[in-house]
Formats: sequence, structure tokens, C-alpha cells
Amino acid sequence: MPTVAYDDAALTVWQGKDALQFIDGLSTNKTLGMVKGEIRRTVFTTSKAKIIDLATIFHMGDFLAVVTHQSQLESLLKHITPRILNQDVSIVDVTSRNAFAIEYGCSNSNVGHFDSLNGRTYGYVDPKYSIIVASLDVGCDYDEDTKVFHEWRIENEIPWNGYEISNKNHPLAAGLDSLVHPQKGCYIGQEVLVRMTTRGRQGKKLVKIDNGSVSEKFITTVGETQSLAIVRDSNQ
Amino acid sequence: MDCGTCETSGPVQVMTPEVINVNLTISNKAQEMLGDAFGDDRSMALLVGVLSGGCSGYMYDLQIVEDTDQNCQEINIDGFRVLVPKASSHLLDGIEIDYVDRLMGGGFKINNPNAESSCGCGESFA
Repeated sequence: MPTVAYDDAALTVWQGKDALQFIDGLSTNKTLGMVKGEIRRTVFTTSKAKIIDLATIFHMGDFLAVVTHQSQLESLLKHITPRILNQDVSIVDVTSRNAFAIEYGCSNSNVGHFDSLNGRTYGYVDPKYSIIVASLDVGCDYDEDTKVFHEWRIENEIPWNGYEISNKNHPLAAGLDSLVHPQKGCYIGQEVLVRMTTRGRQGKKLVKIDNGSVSEKFITTVGETQSLAIVRDSNQ
Repeated sequence: MDCGTCETSGPVQVMTPEVINVNLTISNKAQEMLGDAFGDDRSMALLVGVLSGGCSGYMYDLQIVEDTDQNCQEINIDGFRVLVPKASSHLLDGIEIDYVDRLMGGGFKINNPNAESSCGCGESFA
């Protein structure tokens, strides 16, 4: 399978008996009930439901390994750490100890789980791609050219950090609908997202378009002949 | 994956706000309802805490407890022992604990001058 560097990835280790509940209370997907060996993605959002960061949680048994993004890490930590209060949660940044890559074009049948093979951890986050995390001495092999990867993303309408996944968008507009749990309890931004879904007023949505068919200002990833864009119905 | 759990790694710096000597008030109606809940046993205490979560980021946590392992300030208000965790003191200084007597949405309510916003149900604030 083709592999590209996941340059912007950050890895933090979360320990403490309240860690899962803490994440659950502050993000869009249900994380309570996760068990060792499971992987789950969730989105931290502002009170206006704008994305702070997409997080991928690896349940390692005694602790959680959480892949987020270096470009968002400071704002994410600024958002969450004041809310720890009395809860048993501690966070350690171990980004610099690891290498990260994305394997794509996969046919993952075990989405929601991860495996460790030859010193690398493969997180099956999506049927079509996986996150690979390895210690620096093992490292990750990857192709230098990311253009092919982004063309593949466009073809498969896969949103990405810094493109569709940004603090300008809410998770539903960024194509992260599957990470917004419809029945979980309250979290920051929930009222806004629930209002959008129950009233059928999502506003913007992620679409694949032929180049030149919408205004450039709506385009988030530019491809050779097709692009990804976040538009309202009236913009198409 | 190198999780750094086998050796000591520097934890992410958690912002620890200054501990404030909390002033709080309990309305007459709330005192009446607390009196019913406590009965004659004033050795019990009202724990007024804050948890993360909720629509606005913080949620009030009211409990009647004998004791707690949280590091708390103890305040005596008209014979009621009130415990406020020191870690939450900056969020709870100046609050009024009130009781709203109505069929829907009734019960203990907290009026918090530190809250910039709160969600519809009143349990969560920011």
C-alpha cells in the first residue's frame, strides 16, 4: 500500500482513571466504554462547534495514546487543561519520540482496532486508510510525493487537517459527520450541532467538484481535474 | 509506538488557577430545602464542585457527603457545612445557591457571576 509521512501528527499520552470520561465530556464522539485494543476518533469543538482538533484515541490498556496535530496542539491544550480541575487526568507530549505515516488505498476490515507489527502500530481508523505510529528507532517508510495522496483524498472525499479540518469549519461541514455521536450526552458545541441536524440546517458540506465549477474561495484541496470544496447548496 | 511511559517524561503543563477564598450565599428557600435534606444531622456537608463537560464546558456538581478526598475549603453558612474544592474555587467565588420551586426544571440552581454563558438547563456554564 502507498504510504505518506504524517508530518503534522502529535502524540500525547493520557493517564488517569478519568481520562476517557474527560475526553467524552469535551468532544463529539462517544469514548466511554472503549476497551484495550480499540481505536476511536473524536473532535474537540468550541462552544460555536468550530473544530479545535481531530483526535484519534488508541486504548493501550493502562493509558490512552492520542494522535492529534502539532499545529493545533497548543490551542487544544489551552482548551482542555483548565478543565481538568480535580479529575485524575495527566497528559504527556511524546511527539518527538515517534514517527508517523498514513497508509492509504487500504481495504481495512477491522476499523476501530489497532495492531502492532514489527514495532509499528497500525491504527485502522477508516476502511480506506490507517495511521502508522512507530518509535524513532523503528521509523516509518513513506513515499516523498504527497501529491498522489491528496489526489487520492479528493477521489475518496477524505477530509484532512489543515485543509478541510480547520477552525473555520464545524465537523459536519468538514465531512466528519460519523464522528458526531447522535445520542451521547452534552459536550461543548453540542447544542449548535444538534440544532443543525434536527432542523436540517447543516449549512456547508464537503463535496468533490470538477475544477472550475465553484468559486475558488470554497475550494479546500486543489487537484488536477477535481477538487474538494466546502459549500452551501446554493454555492453549487 | 514510544509512549514514554517507561521513563519519566515531562507532563504537559496544566494551568493551575490561584486558589481563592470563596464567598458564597445560600438563599432562604435553598436553606429550607437543605434543612429538609440534612435533617438534624449537621455533620454531613454540601459539596459544591465543578466537573468538566456539559454544553458549555463546566458542570456544577452538588452532593451531600460525609467527607471527601478532594482538597476543599470548608465554609459554615448558617449551620450548614459547605465544601468547595480548591481546584474549582476560581469558578465558584461569589455564587448564590438558590432553589427554584416549579414542576419542570425546578430544584437547586446556582447563580454564578463568573459564568460568561450557560446552557439552557442551567447545569453547565463557561
